[in-house]
Amino acid sequence: MREITLSQAVNEAIAEEMRRDPTVFLMGEDVAEAGTPFKVLSGLVEEFGTDRVLDTPISEPGFVGMAVGAAMTGARPIVDLMFGDFIYLVMDQLCNQAAKQHYMSGGKLTVPMVLRTNMGATRRSAAQHSQSLQALVAHIPGVKVAMPSSAYEAKGLMKTAIRDNNPVVIFEDKLMYQDKAPVPEEEYLIPFGEANVKREGSDITFIATSSMVQVAEKAAETLAAEGISAEVIDPRTIVPLDEATLLASVKKTSRAIVIDEGHQSYGVTAEIASRLNEKAFYHLDAPVLRMGAMDVPVPFSPALEDITVPTPEGVAANARKLCAGEMIYAA
Amino acid sequence: MPHDVTMPQLGMAQDAGKIVAWLKAPGDAVAKGDALFEVETDKATMEVEAQAAGYLTGVVASEGDDVPVGQVIARISETAKDDTPAPATPPTPEPASDALPEGKQITMPQLGMAQDSGQMVGWLVELGAQVGPDDLLFEVETDKATMEVPAGARGYLAATLAQAGEDVAVGAPVAILTAEAPANPVARSADDAAKAQALAPAQPEPEAAPAKPAEAPKPAPKALLAEGGRILASPKARRLALEQGLDLSRLVKAGHPQPYHVSDLEVLRAMPEGQTPSTGTAQASRRLTARVKRPELEAFLNWAQGQGVDDTDAALAGLLGQGHVQTLAIERIGHARSFAILRRLSQVAVTEDMPELILRDLRGSFVQNVELGAEDIPVLTLLPKGKGLTLVLECAPEQLSAEAAIALLNTVAGRLEQPLRHLL
Amino acid sequence: MTKTNTEDYLRMYTQMVRIRTFEDNANQLYLSAKMPGLTHMYSGEEAVAVGICEALTDDDRITSTHRGHGHCVAKGAEFKEMFCELLGKAEGYCRGKGGSMHIADQSHGNLGANAIVGGSMGIATGSALRAKLQGSDDVTVCFFGDGATAQGLMYEVMNMAALWNLPVIYACENNGYSEYTKTEEIAAGSITARAEAFGIEAHQVDGQDVLAVNELTQKLVARARKGEGPFFIELMTYRYHGHHVGDINREYYRSKDEEKDWKENRDPIVRFRGYLVEQGIATEDEIEAINAAVEKDATDAVAYAEAAAYPDVSEVDMHVFAA
Repeated sequence: MREITLSQAVNEAIAEEMRRDPTVFLMGEDVAEAGTPFKVLSGLVEEFGTDRVLDTPISEPGFVGMAVGAAMTGARPIVDLMFGDFIYLVMDQLCNQAAKQHYMSGGKLTVPMVLRTNMGATRRSAAQHSQSLQALVAHIPGVKVAMPSSAYEAKGLMKTAIRDNNPVVIFEDKLMYQDKAPVPEEEYLIPFGEANVKREGSDITFIATSSMVQVAEKAAETLAAEGISAEVIDPRTIVPLDEATLLASVKKTSRAIVIDEGHQSYGVTAEIASRLNEKAFYHLDAPVLRMGAMDVPVPFSPALEDITVPTPEGVAANARKLCAGEMIYAA
Repeated sequence: MPHDVTMPQLGMAQDAGKIVAWLKAPGDAVAKGDALFEVETDKATMEVEAQAAGYLTGVVASEGDDVPVGQVIARISETAKDDTPAPATPPTPEPASDALPEGKQITMPQLGMAQDSGQMVGWLVELGAQVGPDDLLFEVETDKATMEVPAGARGYLAATLAQAGEDVAVGAPVAILTAEAPANPVARSADDAAKAQALAPAQPEPEAAPAKPAEAPKPAPKALLAEGGRILASPKARRLALEQGLDLSRLVKAGHPQPYHVSDLEVLRAMPEGQTPSTGTAQASRRLTARVKRPELEAFLNWAQGQGVDDTDAALAGLLGQGHVQTLAIERIGHARSFAILRRLSQVAVTEDMPELILRDLRGSFVQNVELGAEDIPVLTLLPKGKGLTLVLECAPEQLSAEAAIALLNTVAGRLEQPLRHLL
Repeated sequence: MTKTNTEDYLRMYTQMVRIRTFEDNANQLYLSAKMPGLTHMYSGEEAVAVGICEALTDDDRITSTHRGHGHCVAKGAEFKEMFCELLGKAEGYCRGKGGSMHIADQSHGNLGANAIVGGSMGIATGSALRAKLQGSDDVTVCFFGDGATAQGLMYEVMNMAALWNLPVIYACENNGYSEYTKTEEIAAGSITARAEAFGIEAHQVDGQDVLAVNELTQKLVARARKGEGPFFIELMTYRYHGHHVGDINREYYRSKDEEKDWKENRDPIVRFRGYLVEQGIATEDEIEAINAAVEKDATDAVAYAEAAAYPDVSEVDMHVFAA
């Protein structure tokens, strides 16, 4: 199978859907000729013109609000939010407006829009361009949240998102835009709420999102050499969450580490760990561990930044302890 | 049709309003839009207008009354003499003139296992008097006994909330002790106190000190409780131990390091039975033995197989458990299985439920005699004795009465001697 | 073009009376504690909603505000579904899930009331963007109050609407008060100048004169359909009640004399009624017959809504996500 970058995969997904459905359009800061700072959208304006690829002023609440209105009246906008950190700017439009229209109207209004943005630290971008804020959005009922872990997922999830009749936020890992993966040439969709068992194992389950899937896979590789068999599961969407697959795995292995690049406190890892605890408690032979980013603003200095996010070594070290029955936190 | 006049809802967090003044008298003619009455909320005072024309009738709220929002306070009727009864107005609770003092509440103690109230025999201290924690405060009678209850705290008996002869629910307040000498000590009947209690917001009530002769209910035996506190074990290890009848406290006593995980259960399984006494040995126990000279088990098991019951343990469990218990565990050295006992032998099946009776089958062993003491549930041990069997039933007195224990052992022995007869 | 025939005039009058009657009944429901929550009365501002909505078709969209019952009625909604919604009943426009502050009626192009002040400005402008991208000739009217001119979102979307010539009309209902504060204390400079700064054509009109409002709106809607938008209208009006129903002692921010003056001398319904009789368009008897019919319609709808069923509890987690 051919291999393409995550960036190309996103671009292909949007182009295919814009060809298929004339109501789909793209808007955001520097999405047209510039193709975004990460060049993910390069070439789209040439094919679809400035009517369907709209460069906006730097007015995040304004253009996200407009996407909500366009979506409510028959269009399928894809909004590009240049950095995930700007989510804070659009919270009212996303969480008070987009997320609630369908419910508040008793099911009469729908908001089929996609907000694509990014996440991920260790790019030396410091505290306001490095955050992974998926938990903020996932907390709000009415918004779906997808977190592709490779080019394959990026394309399949984007196409599903564009066809979904709800607001969907897609967080892409900005460090993975140039990572290649096999992506079929023929069309495919990845349904929401279906986790992907990336690697099977019997001793411990790693539940990892987006960038952290690679981290978990590397840790599993290391552990395999030591005779510890780790299962790696990528939920792919955190809303909806494929609880059944996660629970089945944890009931099998009796141990789990949940890994996500958002801040650890009150985060995605906490939510998933809590559900495992509630629903698989009597199958657990060790506490479910959370591994998220440290609860500090992302520092600029490489020496500091690199230690704020989970690493394969850290995951493997914790897994060894759990499998040996050692306590990570004193009783 | 008469039009109801209600207390208006005026604010976002308002639930009542006070009627400052009626601007119309009962029987007055009113026009739509006339000011009817003046109302005051926490925020403001305003005049409330009539929403219909007619005559003001059925006025049930007076000036100065606080009325809940939405409550009907009068009507506008077509005639001045509409005398249909006014809508029922729940009376605003009047603050009792003898308001209860603030202080430590003393409650009716729970003295027995199945006791839900106690009768106040009498107060042993005068109202208003000072007491110390050990001073006997009142006398209470339950179905079992009469006893004197100490105050349990220092203070002044500022209120008695139940009087001689009254029944008071366990945990309900019977007195209030104040730190300062009360100016107006209050005496109420339990009935009044209960009403006042219903109106007051719930608050945690410190219980009276336990009465001296109280027969405290014994805590239910907990298999997983070790001496010196809780055993550290994973949820999965605990669940498996429970299912397989393994006692984690034996690992503690053997000095095996905590926390326990599933792998530690192997160690536990490998430990010989009886290496450490079970947690229940301290209990008083009953021990009965019976003898079966010629058990006809072979014939029974062959017959059961003919009925489609291949699992000999299931057949045995069904034979011995039926009519006595709903779940029965068959335990041999190293493993145990529980069975749900149903009416038809062919329906007896393995279960994860906790057994009510353990059948400890030591027929194939060298063990000649057992005296293990009562365990968490009754244990019936089968021991080899020549061509026959010895049956030992051990249990705690509260698990089986003497009669029940004798009946159980006797029936089981009979069934072992003539199993097919039992079935017919 | 001004509407000149009798039928149009009588409909405008009827719609204004319907709004006033709806609000009087809603006020009573609230005061008698039959209506839960929180509500804001539109009484006094009827000529704004009616003058504008009578210039629109069902394909044209509006976005509404927390003070939104008037917009909803003016855009064609039925009393029965509206009262049911206000009382949280299953037959309400939003199955009781939205209530007074979120009432929406998309069958007549009402995209919904919004309880965030200025919160719908993005939605209205986005609706206009969709019309332009899809080549539809519908127009979107964004209703908001003078208080909402203090929100940053307004400037962001007016900028884009002007850049892209979107068919949107920003209708600022200036009722003189931003909640409990005089408008001049929260808004520096001129309101219309805010729009003019983006090159948006802005008008100020007497919001108590339904014909003036309607005439101006018709012209602007026609031009917006041709791609000459956006436009901005400041409608000078007055709210008879407080900010919300419980805002009863208002003298610390406005005098009773001022309220009396607006009610007695500038009431949009009284003024238009006088005009209709004077011009021989309707007799006093005909007007009274309209009023009585509307009153009955409202009384029946309230009775229906009071007796109507609440939604089944199974609906609580329905409509979180669309299929």
